[in-house]
Amino acid sequence: MGAIYEQLLGLLEHLGQKRIAVVHLLGADIRFDSTAMIMSWVVIALLILLALWLRRGLRQPVEEKPNRTQAALDGLIDLLRGQLSSNFASGRLATMMFPFVSTLFLYVLLANWLGVVPYLTSPTQDLNVTFGLALLVFVLSHVLAVRFKGVRRHLKGFLEPFGWMLPLNLVGEIAKPLSHAFRLFGNVLSGTFLVTVIMVKFVPIGLPPVLNIVFGMFFGAIQAFVFAILAVAYINVAVEE
Amino acid sequence: MLQEAQEVVGGIGGADIVTAAKYIGAGLCMGIGAIGPAIGEGIAAGHALDGMARQPEMQGVLLRTMVLGQAISETTGIYSLLIAIVLLFVV
Repeated sequence: MGAIYEQLLGLLEHLGQKRIAVVHLLGADIRFDSTAMIMSWVVIALLILLALWLRRGLRQPVEEKPNRTQAALDGLIDLLRGQLSSNFASGRLATMMFPFVSTLFLYVLLANWLGVVPYLTSPTQDLNVTFGLALLVFVLSHVLAVRFKGVRRHLKGFLEPFGWMLPLNLVGEIAKPLSHAFRLFGNVLSGTFLVTVIMVKFVPIGLPPVLNIVFGMFFGAIQAFVFAILAVAYINVAVEE
Repeated sequence: MLQEAQEVVGGIGGADIVTAAKYIGAGLCMGIGAIGPAIGEGIAAGHALDGMARQPEMQGVLLRTMVLGQAISETTGIYSLLIAIVLLFVV
């Protein structure tokens, strides 16, 4: 019994192991997590190749009726616009933020689905990646708030509804990117844990692909949608009066 | 009998107790921490279903809001998962 637990622990530790690349630059050691970085590059390359490949189908005169690629892409854009950026308070903000929010959704979706492929790991099961994305949304929401409302009115928003609630508002503001990052990271990591443990220890054949579809693809899609829609909500809250 | 028991107890070092406490703590953390999000998500889904039954044409908006609310109420469960992982592998 003890041996099984030891093996299981070794397995879980192996899951969390990272390949660290150290770069010497200007007398300082800069550490990179090469696994997460290479997998991020894979996701980015896939997205760019997909975009280039789909764009080839769009080269046609406007007056002709749309071909299959065009119809499919129109459907996708309508879906993203209706589900994600229609939640913005103003139409101007929605038009402005639509590319950013859709890119965020597509990147996280593809990153989550990458974990289903054997020998590849999701970049989103690394806290650094999800935290980077969450910080991006955090900084963007404050920049947009300053741009839409001005510095004075934005800073005054922290004193609402009473001045003595400033510490509470600050803690709430810091908790936003933290929970945003931890939610995606924890969901993806726990799915990977479950599938790996069941595959290696209990049922090696038959069940793991089904679990991969449920935990990798279904939950991955839901979490990507949640990540994008929370980004929309955070930007909305920061910008609105 | 008593002597054997005393020998066993004497053989348990501080590190063993720490390891046992780590596992118990991680199990309690996940077990208790999962109760709240489960109830919360169930309530959210139930009320969304109520709304959908009353107004089927609102299904899209209700589904979207339900998923968002469930994701937010899931946060405490994710925090307890993180603490369990930290207890198991970092402490």
